[in-house]
Amino acid sequence: MITAENVHMNFRRGMVGAKIRALDGMSLQVREGDFFALVGQNGAGKSTAMYCFLGLLKPTSGKIEVMGRAPELGSSLYSTVSYLPEEPHYHLYLTVEEATRYYASLYGERPPRKAIDDILERLGLGPFKKLSLAKCSKGMKQKVGIAQCLIRETRLLFLDEPTRGLDPIIVREFREILRDLHKRGATIVMNSHVLSEIEMLANRVAILEKGKVIAQDDLHNLMTLDQDLYAVAVEADGSVPDYLTVTERQGNTVRGRIPKAQLYDFMDYARQKGLRVLECSLQRASLEDSFVRILKGDAPGEKKEV
Amino acid sequence: MGELLRANTLTHLRFFRRSRLLLAFGLVFLLVASLSSLPAVFANSRVASFDSLKDIFLTFNEFLIFFGAALGLLVMSSHLSNRSLKMVFTKPCPPPLWLGSAFLASALVLLLLTGFVLLCAMALSFLWHIPVRAGLVFISLDTFLAAAGMAAYFIFLAAIVHPAIAVAFALVFNASLFYWLRMYMHGALQAEGKSIILKCLEQLFHFLYLMAPMTRAFESRTGSIYSSFRVPAHHWLYILYSFGYTLALCALFYFLALFFLQRKRFT
Repeated sequence: MITAENVHMNFRRGMVGAKIRALDGMSLQVREGDFFALVGQNGAGKSTAMYCFLGLLKPTSGKIEVMGRAPELGSSLYSTVSYLPEEPHYHLYLTVEEATRYYASLYGERPPRKAIDDILERLGLGPFKKLSLAKCSKGMKQKVGIAQCLIRETRLLFLDEPTRGLDPIIVREFREILRDLHKRGATIVMNSHVLSEIEMLANRVAILEKGKVIAQDDLHNLMTLDQDLYAVAVEADGSVPDYLTVTERQGNTVRGRIPKAQLYDFMDYARQKGLRVLECSLQRASLEDSFVRILKGDAPGEKKEV
Repeated sequence: MGELLRANTLTHLRFFRRSRLLLAFGLVFLLVASLSSLPAVFANSRVASFDSLKDIFLTFNEFLIFFGAALGLLVMSSHLSNRSLKMVFTKPCPPPLWLGSAFLASALVLLLLTGFVLLCAMALSFLWHIPVRAGLVFISLDTFLAAAGMAAYFIFLAAIVHPAIAVAFALVFNASLFYWLRMYMHGALQAEGKSIILKCLEQLFHFLYLMAPMTRAFESRTGSIYSSFRVPAHHWLYILYSFGYTLALCALFYFLALFFLQRKRFT
């Protein structure tokens, strides 16, 4: 669906300013039907990558193909593509309803009034449809962005920090909408800092650092980078085994984590010493843990350029 | 294609209608023009009334040319500065179409305003018992074409530089300046004799003079119409020439603006 090969993107700040390397040989592949998440620290190049996919930026070098074509501004390629920008850069002089209608009309067909009314009602914008976008809150503007993405059946959806500024109810509903879209076959490329959200939605993740993809895999694989741990709590008077990382001591209760591989050693140890095990539960690594470990370079076999 | 042009043109028209800057510009001008025209309203002879009508009509026509420039400047600079074009170009709406609709919407607004000024002038003619002369229509058409050319020029300027710089550039580097520089070089050439540098400069300024947009390209031939409002039959041809000139100007600035627009970063 999307292929990026060795993409470089350099900027110059002003006419004679310093050169900024936003993308530095980025390569990635989004397959049809993927819910693909781009994650990385601030300035890692996530938004730049998305702008390149959308044709808003032309890479300095490298090749990008979206649905087999090079993205060009306003080309027919976009007839099945939707985009939700990070910042609400909308036509602020339009009302909520006018903006939704206008963005839908840009696909070349006049949208039915009912479709617009329905989507606005669904997103809770019904009572505000005559309100100028300039007077809307950031969250409301974001909802307008969501409305223009959902007004048409879409094959490829680009979301740049989609839930920023939205209230929790709408975030939840939006997640459901995205899941539904994904189930119906849409490919979704999302760029977000909210890793828990990516965990809930995405099936594939690419981690960007300094303009490079340093890890790209299925979400499941990234989250099980041999780092599953067991959270344990024991009543121990004295020493504890070396592999138990103590996180808390309260009286004679010790809480800590042990690596999955050492679970049986720990059980033997507890039996031998007559320790009372209060708790022992599998604590799977979150995407956040994997993300941090990959960025720090301590994930086994990771921190490699893809 | 038709729907895209319709949707974009309608949106531009909404932008013009809701732009507070344009409204303020219009209101300030209306106030100034009304105050300066006030004494003319109390004229007590037909000759004085005709002069008053002429003053008012020509003032408002001049205003329309400035207004054309303001329309062009705002429609481009506003959309570039608030970065809303990324919402347009990430849909199957190519830049040539969006730009074309900006030209079209500006022309429609100018046509409407020119028509309104013409109707007002006709109403004043009836009110003051002055015969309605063909010159009113001629000047209105000429003004509309001049204002459309200015709109195109400012759309182009706003596509490449900040609006304040665009205004400053247009004020300084206009056809009059290049004409004066050309004449200066011509005079210097005659005084100095053969100088390749002066000759090149003269040719350069001549070229720039030809390229710089003129508000009324055939002013020297049609000047009498502006004072008498009478149009000799063969002078109508100048409207056709003006139309051709404006069309060429609009085409030039359309392609230039498009060239720069497509190289912009819409992020």
